[in-house]
Formats: sequence, structure tokens, C-alpha cells
Amino acid sequence: MGLLSILRKFTSAPERELRLLLLGLDNAGKTTILKILASEDITSITPTAGFNIKSVISDGFKLNVWDIGGQRKIRPYWKNYFENTDVLIYVVDSADKKRLEETGIELYELLSDDKLHNVPVLVYANKQDLPDSLSASDLAQALGLPTIKDRSWQIQACTASEGTGVREGMEWVCKSIKKK
Amino acid sequence: MVTLSPTTHNSGAPASASGMNLASLWWWLAWWLRPLVKWVLRRTTGLCELQRICYGEVSGAPRVKGVERSLASSRHPQLRQLVAHLDDVAARRCFTGANERQLLQRAVSAVLVAKRINPTVHCGFVAAFGKCVEQIWGYRQLAAEVELLRQTPFDSADASHERRLLDLWRSLRPDEPLQGRISKQWQDIGFQGDDPKTDFRGMGLLGLENLLFFASEHRAPAHHVLAHSMHATAGYCFAIVGINITHMAWSMLRDGSAQTYFYNTSRSLPTLRLFHCFYSYLFYEFDRFWAEAKPTNIMEFSTVKGQFERRVRVALSDPRTQFRVTLAVHHV
Repeated sequence: MGLLSILRKFTSAPERELRLLLLGLDNAGKTTILKILASEDITSITPTAGFNIKSVISDGFKLNVWDIGGQRKIRPYWKNYFENTDVLIYVVDSADKKRLEETGIELYELLSDDKLHNVPVLVYANKQDLPDSLSASDLAQALGLPTIKDRSWQIQACTASEGTGVREGMEWVCKSIKKK
Repeated sequence: MVTLSPTTHNSGAPASASGMNLASLWWWLAWWLRPLVKWVLRRTTGLCELQRICYGEVSGAPRVKGVERSLASSRHPQLRQLVAHLDDVAARRCFTGANERQLLQRAVSAVLVAKRINPTVHCGFVAAFGKCVEQIWGYRQLAAEVELLRQTPFDSADASHERRLLDLWRSLRPDEPLQGRISKQWQDIGFQGDDPKTDFRGMGLLGLENLLFFASEHRAPAHHVLAHSMHATAGYCFAIVGINITHMAWSMLRDGSAQTYFYNTSRSLPTLRLFHCFYSYLFYEFDRFWAEAKPTNIMEFSTVKGQFERRVRVALSDPRTQFRVTLAVHHV
């Protein structure tokens, strides 16, 4: 069973499908997180041209995770995937300080979109293993997350390449689904 | 409205129990019956299984794969020892030069002794079997070499890595000097940002070497593909797609599906160069396939790539498939 089997205990409807959208700049670690969720090998990842989708079935619980490429040329297509999203997962490379502003702008464009209105957002502060990476709380401040009032949000420190922190983030995802 | 098209189902239903039983029943039957069938054939034809394959199958993949299967299922202690030894040598990448010639001789004589074959009568078998051994363990050695390159991450601090990256630029953009090592120009050849170093990811140096070989050794086809990749709607990111093609070529090499290509094209020990040729072939053919699929935009990449990969795998599953090695540019 993958990591997502923990989601099982938060739902009573066995056939319920969830749509999770993984976004963020290129090289943030979206595909690595997707592969961790699906319990797949993470040593042979390539840059995402277009998108990847994995459906993780866990005891009749179906989770559709959409991982959309993050490079600038692809970002205009992000909006095509907004509809019916249950939770937005935004991934940030905590050590990429040069593009901190860029990733913040992209996040706020997402949050101001009508189709993502009220959709809970989980921010992964990824690559905590790198020297000079921002801590989750510093990153939350830098991105201005505390000013978000129209939805529930959460920041989670993680190192996807080592598989740490991803699970904790998913537990929050479960709770926010349960509340809905 | 987006329709769901799940590509993988993890932790889905386990393989059906009856299917498993049938498979293991078949395996047991084959295990017990094979020696009997082999004995009858040996009595009636006067030839051992390896001889029947070498004489009966056409050269190239059909023959090499036959020998490979026969050796893998052999229960003869000397042959099992031989296979284990050759596997070890190939994994250490020592199956070259004088060592290779010596190992080939040893392999041939081990079979001659084990199967009591007279080499003067069966000189055709000696030559054919030697060639097969060279291909089988040359392929395994190549897989080890490719894996080593893939596991070497691209490192900006390594001058040789940097030099190869700049060579790639010069091969693809000979008339346009690069303004700086960090430059938006990298996006013109399909990297994601201003610095390609993070784009090689899990393909490491292998991704760069594949691209560089295609761009420098097959210059005209590579420029042709690069021009296609810049199409306003049906365009794609040349380098990024190239790195995804590296993944495809590597996975086919690793799971053995690429054997058909290598056994049918290689005349001697398969080398890294031949892997680069396989990659170039895949990239060039993908470009054509992509154009024929008439995609609306890059978001169709994973679907089209999946269709392309299936088509290549079907072709590779027939050992008689021949591949065009020289890339011809068709001007449209």
C-alpha cells in the first residue's frame, strides 16, 4: 500500500474520487512528490513536458493526482486543469531564493482565480536538505501565506528526494477534505 | 471538461490467483519436459540445442536471442559457471580488447567440451556461437556503462561537463554565440530556464551525451528536428523532449527490449556509440510521429509519447525487425 492509504480512514464513501493538482515552478520537485505518492522509483525522473497523472487506488478510494509541468512556456496551460480541483498542492524549491518572487507571483495568480475559489492549498517547502534553504515558517512569511483569509492553507517542510515530510502534508490534505 | 485518463493504477487489484497457478503449472511442466524434448531432439538430429539454434536461426536477433535463452535455462554446471563469470565480467565492464578475445575462446571451448562437439566438423558453429556470446555480453556490458553515465549527475564544477554543454550549444547554434553561461538563449534549444544544469535530472550525463551526439554526429537531422520543435503550435522543447527520449532509450536498454535493435545492427561488440545511434533514431522518429499526430499543444506530449513508445516496443518485439541506421532528412 502506498502512502496514500492513510487517506482511507478519512472517508466513508468508498467510491469517492479526489482531484489533486500539483503546481509550482520548474525544478521545484512536483514529479518527485507524485512518484513518492505512487510509491514509484524517483531516481530516473525527467523534466515534465506537458503533464503526468497518477491514479492511486487505495481500498476503493481513488485519488487522481495531476502533475503539470512548471516551466514558463507551460504555465499558460495551468488554468485548463483547475476545474473541479479538491486540493491545490503548490511545491516550492526552498533553496531557490533567486526565484522566490517569481514563485510567489505565480501562487497569487492561482489563488485569485475563480475556478480555484475556496480550494484549500498545501504548500510544500521542498528541498530542506539543501544548505541555505529557507525554513517552512520563513518561506510562509516570504510568500505572505498568513494573509490568506478565503481558504484553509498549510505549509509543510519536506525533502521529497528522501521521502520525508510528504506524508505529513498528505495528512493535512485529508483533514481539509474531511472538513468540506 | 477534462476526462480522466489514468495512466497507472497503483496498489490496484492483485494478479488473479488462477492466472498465477496456471503460470506456475506451465513453468513446472516446462522444467520437467524440457530435458526430455532436448534429449529426443539430440538423438534424432545429432545436434545439441545450441547447434540447432546456430544452424537453424538467421544471424542477428533471432539467433542471438535463441542462444541467450538456451544458455539461461541450461542446467549444465560448467555452462552455468560460464554464464555467471561472463555476467560478472560484463558488470565490471572488462569485456573488451584482449580480455574479450580470451573470454570468447574460453566460452566456445567450454561449450565444445560440455556438449562434446567436434570443432573441425562444426567450425560454422564455433564462429556463430562466438558471435552470439560477443553480442549477449557486449549488450549487458553496455547496459552497465550506460547506467554509470546516467548515475553521474551533471556537475557545473566539472570542466569536462561544462565543455560538453557548450559543445551542444555550438553544434545546434553554430552561427549564434552564447552571450553568457547563464543565458535566456538556452531556452531557444528547449531547456527550461537560463541554466540547463538542473534539467538533466535523473538522466544525468547520459542525457547530455545523447543530445550532444545527435546534434554533432547527425547534424542535419538534428537541425531539422530543432526547426520542427520551434513550430508555433505543434512545437515542443527540443532539449527537454530529448531528455525524455533518453529515458525511453535507457529503459528499453535496461529491460532488454532494445536487444532486437542492437543484435540486428551491431557487427561487433556493441558500444556506447551504438546506444547514441539508437537514441538518435528514436528522437528523429519521435519528431516525425509527433508531427503526424497533429497535437494542439505541448500538453499532449505524454499521450503522444506513450503511443510512440508502444509502437516502437511492438516493432522491437519482433526479432526480425531491421532498423534504419542512417538518418535521412526529408525536406518538406
